[in-house]
Amino acid sequence: MSDVTETLPVEQTGVTDDRRTVLATALFGGLMLVAAVLVVVDAVRLPETSGIVGPAAVPLPVGVLLGAVGAALLVRARTQLRDARPGSRRPAHGALRVCGMVAALVAFALLLPVLGYVVSSAALFAVTAILLGAPRAPQAIAYGWALAALVFLVFDRLIGLTLPTGPWGF
Amino acid sequence: MEQRGSPAEQVGTEQRTRRWTRWVPWTVAVVATGAVVATTPTGESHAGSTVQDVLGGEQLRIMAPAAPGGGWDQTSREMQGALRELVGRTEVYNVAGAGGTIGLSQFVRFDGDPTQLLTTGLIMVGAVKANGSGHSLADTTPLVRLTTDYQAIVVPADSPLRDTADLVAAMREDLPSVSIAGGSAGGVEQILAGMLAKAVGGDPAQVSYVAHSGGGEALTTLLSGRATIGISGVSEIEPQIEAGTVRALAVSSPERLPAVPDVPTLREGGLDVELQNWRGVAAPKGISAEEERALEGLLLDMTRTREWRDALERRGWGDATLAGPEFEDFVRSEQERVSRVLDEIGLG
Amino acid sequence: MDQFGLLLDGFASALTPGHLLWALVGVTIGTAVGVLPGIGPALTVALLLPITFRLDPASALILFAGIYYGGMYGGSTTSILLNTPGESASMISALEGNKMARAGRAAAALATAAIGSFVAGTIGTVALTFVAPVLSDFATSFGPPEYVALMALAFVTVSALLGPSLLKGAASLLVGITIGLVGIDSQTGQPRLVFGIDSLLDGIDVVIVVVALFALSEAFGHLLTGTGHSTVQPLRERAILSRKDFRRSWPSWLRGTALGFPIGSLPAGGAEVPTFLSYSVEKKLSKQPEEFGKGAIEGVAGPEAANNAAAAGVLVPLLTIGLPTSATAAVILTAFQSYGLQPGPQLFSESGPLVWTLIASLYVGNVMLLVLNLPLVRMWAKLLTIPSYGIYAGVLVFATLGAYAAGGTTVDLLILCALGVLGLLMREAGIPVAPAIVGLILGPLAEQQLRRALTLSEGDPSILLSGPITVVLWSVVVLALLTPAAGAWFRNRRRADAPSPVR
Repeated sequence: MSDVTETLPVEQTGVTDDRRTVLATALFGGLMLVAAVLVVVDAVRLPETSGIVGPAAVPLPVGVLLGAVGAALLVRARTQLRDARPGSRRPAHGALRVCGMVAALVAFALLLPVLGYVVSSAALFAVTAILLGAPRAPQAIAYGWALAALVFLVFDRLIGLTLPTGPWGF
Repeated sequence: MEQRGSPAEQVGTEQRTRRWTRWVPWTVAVVATGAVVATTPTGESHAGSTVQDVLGGEQLRIMAPAAPGGGWDQTSREMQGALRELVGRTEVYNVAGAGGTIGLSQFVRFDGDPTQLLTTGLIMVGAVKANGSGHSLADTTPLVRLTTDYQAIVVPADSPLRDTADLVAAMREDLPSVSIAGGSAGGVEQILAGMLAKAVGGDPAQVSYVAHSGGGEALTTLLSGRATIGISGVSEIEPQIEAGTVRALAVSSPERLPAVPDVPTLREGGLDVELQNWRGVAAPKGISAEEERALEGLLLDMTRTREWRDALERRGWGDATLAGPEFEDFVRSEQERVSRVLDEIGLG
Repeated sequence: MDQFGLLLDGFASALTPGHLLWALVGVTIGTAVGVLPGIGPALTVALLLPITFRLDPASALILFAGIYYGGMYGGSTTSILLNTPGESASMISALEGNKMARAGRAAAALATAAIGSFVAGTIGTVALTFVAPVLSDFATSFGPPEYVALMALAFVTVSALLGPSLLKGAASLLVGITIGLVGIDSQTGQPRLVFGIDSLLDGIDVVIVVVALFALSEAFGHLLTGTGHSTVQPLRERAILSRKDFRRSWPSWLRGTALGFPIGSLPAGGAEVPTFLSYSVEKKLSKQPEEFGKGAIEGVAGPEAANNAAAAGVLVPLLTIGLPTSATAAVILTAFQSYGLQPGPQLFSESGPLVWTLIASLYVGNVMLLVLNLPLVRMWAKLLTIPSYGIYAGVLVFATLGAYAAGGTTVDLLILCALGVLGLLMREAGIPVAPAIVGLILGPLAEQQLRRALTLSEGDPSILLSGPITVVLWSVVVLALLTPAAGAWFRNRRRADAPSPVR
């Protein structure tokens, strides 16, 4: 299968990872270690049951493996960091835009029950499009509102999937 | 991007198209919003004044605390159909998962709202106990019991077990070696398995119970020849009994069932065990006694509709209508009984 | 020829105007959502699921089958035009297909994909007709021990083939398994990794994870790299294959089908594995191996055929054993269950006419798809001239709708968001997301089957090797484990003997 993987453009092999990939790998390894602790702690907490193989039988090894693989990723990232080449240049504020997007999604989740589906979704559409670089904000809002209203019409009114409504009924 | 045509020509075309396409999203938005507003449901009134007063012109909303297709979902949707001629449009929505405890934990927030109903039953009583849920049916106002389904104890067609006596003998000899395939952990089937073990003088915690997400999956395990017996709802397993894929040893009803008249009850086999998978309806806690009476009246009226009688027939559900203080007593006694059995099994 | 008569009955009911209409609606929706990156058949079927239980089961399943096949067709379009696979199974098509499109051969690439899909889908559906009923008998002998062996096979084949780096593939797989642990343990009713959040009691919906890791992380990626303006290669040729292209394509279609159907029909096969295999086979057999990586038509024809043959094959275990081997199959399984039909050994005996109607409608859907795809390729491509910011904003609206519809709570949306960030991190770290989905789907199944088996045997592990089927399956597992290892050993030796200057 190495023939296939070598030609995949999106995936880097270990040798040529750039700095950003290495750092992301290290962060992921760190997250896996945290998850490992959570899984093991949660599994130990589970009560003994009468069953021959209890509920903790699988989480425990999974937690240990999570820790092992996470540690391996961290160690490998540490050794690769020295030889890593600098990554391709990226436009500024990329991370900021991602944070903005996450904030928009959290706000969407919290405001959905209050403002109703159409308003929240139209706003989500507009914010996403603008963050991704839509040139004209009013157009984005119009498209968002049209899409959200159509979705609401089809799913809530026509099909009967209950979508949250605001004080104005949609 | 490669350019097509001369830049000037392209700009010209773009401007011409933009002039009218610019208005498309606005027009669609306005038209769709108009349609949404125009189709806003209005409270229709069909029923007598008491129920209408209670609902205050609002729609009745029924929560089915299970995925579409499950028993509670079916019950809720049949209710929706039967209630149509009494109160017009009602709404059914699903909050699936964890034996109904996820739905219950959301339902308790509707404190004092008489327009909200919850479909419930024995499985929720068991799941509340088994999952250690923070809420129980005591946090609701039980209204009526509607249906019941008894359990059948089945074996593969070529099993050496012929009747309840054989099963009792096998369980007395070596309880853990009698593996039992059934539905979800803490559900009706496992409760019955625990009661069986107790009735033959064994320790319910020693039962080899194999949980499955559904009756069909449990049946696959039974047919592979690895489980000794299977427990399933009668209405669900009846086609298999008829087809001869499995043999029924006993049913958990007090008397023989018309659907499977040849199958003896557990009592006939000498075991003092009886279990029904009942389903009913609850309202939020904190509604007034008047509202409670009105809703009970509405649901009792519903059980007398033609649609509801048809639904019972079609689904193979037993009619188990019970309302008022009797039903609340029944719920309390079921809670005690179920939690005792689950404690003994070790799921408490 | 008993099943032939039954199939004719199936055709009789599939060809009723009503069912025909649902098949048409299904393939239209399927192709449209397959074209839209991030929205695949799994999400679409999941979205339609709460809606369609009002239809009669036959209509709904025909609709879903149409969406399923249509999605497979449509997914290749985005792969080829946008280099953005609509789903994991059409990823390989992007390799050569997008190179062809950049070289102005988009029409040929789309055409070979469309015809290859049709050929494979048709052969696959014929095989489904005659093999599924036989397998259905065989499936009754599958108990927990057999499933355990089967799951082991699935883990070995799928995980070994999906990752560029074994460590990163394993990391992804483990993350998926961990997500699969969340919720109430089905054997004992104990909540695991729930941390007191009621909405987590039922676990995290596969659909939410798929949407987050694939679509949401992609939108985040565009935000990070500022590529929100990217549009599609213009499509200038007519979608017709030249004689030469056809000569090069048809053996690849057949080879792809031959790989795709059997592997797809293995309950542990899936649709991705055969596309990888097909790609490497085509590369090895090609007379112009130097064209690979620069736009070789075989590299589109083979994997596309494999992908669609597998889509038919995946329905075999779904219909006979009730085992989903892809995200879409998992959702279709849910659809079956919501109609009270338990896919499994009893399906053919209990709901025979319905199953045959479904199979017949697959044939019909295939013809409809070719008709839709070949002449309308230009129209589908137009859909992609929407700039990315529009596409992803739309994807987000549908993704949040999907998440909300699946769980109905704010917590589900927050989980979606968190998993999207996790997906972005995985993207940045070069960690493949597909193994995570595999782990999420297979992990809980494997765990439950293992514990069921050990409960049945009162803890005696020898039950795992009881019966001939388990022995055969475990042998295949050992073989699958040894073959890549042996291959690597040979490669290393060869490399040691003669240092290759290729890389």
